[in-house]
Amino acid sequence: MDPAQNQVLAGLLTACARRDQAAFARLYQSTSSKLFGVAVRILRREDWAEEVLQDCYVSIWNHAGSYEAGRSAPMTWMTSIVRNRCLDWLRRPNLEVAIGRPDDGDDPLENVPSEEPGPLEELARSADAKALRECLRRLEARQRQAIMLAFYEGLSHSQLASHMREPLGTVKTWVRRGLERLKGCLGTV
Amino acid sequence: MRYRGKPALQDKLAAEYVLGTLRGCARLRFQAWLREDAALRRTVAEWESRLAPMAAGIAEVHPPGRVWTAIQSRLEGGAAAAKPGFWDSLAFWRNWGLLATGCAAALVAAVALRQPQTIEVPVVQTVEVPQKGMQPSYIALLHATAPDGQKLVFLAYAGRQSDELWVKKVALGDAPAEHGYELWGLPATPGEAPKSLGMLPKDEKGTIKLAAAADQSLKDFPALAISIEPASGSKTGLPTGPVIAKGDCLKFW
Repeated sequence: MDPAQNQVLAGLLTACARRDQAAFARLYQSTSSKLFGVAVRILRREDWAEEVLQDCYVSIWNHAGSYEAGRSAPMTWMTSIVRNRCLDWLRRPNLEVAIGRPDDGDDPLENVPSEEPGPLEELARSADAKALRECLRRLEARQRQAIMLAFYEGLSHSQLASHMREPLGTVKTWVRRGLERLKGCLGTV
Repeated sequence: MRYRGKPALQDKLAAEYVLGTLRGCARLRFQAWLREDAALRRTVAEWESRLAPMAAGIAEVHPPGRVWTAIQSRLEGGAAAAKPGFWDSLAFWRNWGLLATGCAAALVAAVALRQPQTIEVPVVQTVEVPQKGMQPSYIALLHATAPDGQKLVFLAYAGRQSDELWVKKVALGDAPAEHGYELWGLPATPGEAPKSLGMLPKDEKGTIKLAAAADQSLKDFPALAISIEPASGSKTGLPTGPVIAKGDCLKFW
């Protein structure tokens, strides 16, 4: 997302905070494919992603006034709303019973691809993305895999442990150290 | 508030929250802290920006047109238009309520952490527990649905064996003319209709007479909601007006 696009989106959010419905429609047109992509990626079910997306845009409309341009880019702010809502959705206890979908298997990991998800090539081609890609590359392979599985697939520590066939404590350490190293690296590149 | 004054721990929690590995009660507790602590919100925003390029690269998927239609009808608010959205959000809150029930301590902490000016009175003092030697009880904390979804607006309390539900409007203005507020129990079972628990009293504080002891009347409802209805209550037995507040109904035993 280049600075000009960021400015346009920030302007639309400001207009939404003033209850400008036309601006909200434009915001939806400009961002919904991106945000739906994020929801589909994490939830892996388009019907769930549709419900989450609906909720998120209602939330964006209601909370547009709390967006602070100085703190994060508009897309980052909106993506965080979507990711958080997806995570809340995924971690509903007893998902199968609560949703009543018989086609949900018992194993939440059965749909997780076995290869490392979110290949580094998936990162956007901006300068920020270049830095993050470089720093992810510098992580140990297992740290990187744990972080990417958690981010792209919404896996919890215990799901990571079972997917990666490692003890829970080990996986927690990978995630923690990986994040620490990522922060340190991003501060230098 | 064990994280206060511990920037390294705050940073670690913020990172795991943004990554998505902070789960369950820890996540709820963290979200409560987040609402209270601007510095923590900054730390989270920094992590969101650090990891943002990962999401930026995810392939776009064009959502079907019905999503926009549904969003529009939810924003229009009116009784008929609000219906699909109402059910959607019920599904969300019902399920969220199941998790929250297991995290009662975290949620009470969340309420207790709120600044006095936000909530007016600490919840522990607000809920006047009838002293009949009955500790086990139900407590419901309802938040405004819009425009500021974080604001606690309504509290309810009932002893387990009591058929009196004590209610307090923390920040619920008067209902529109010729209308009233109706309290609903949201069942845990999907597809099951909400059940009316009664109309809220006009006064700020009061009681609602439940059909049976709380243990019977509330046990099937992990969450409650308030809708605007005709003064004598919904004529259909189901919510017909906009839902203005909803939240968890927690069991304490």
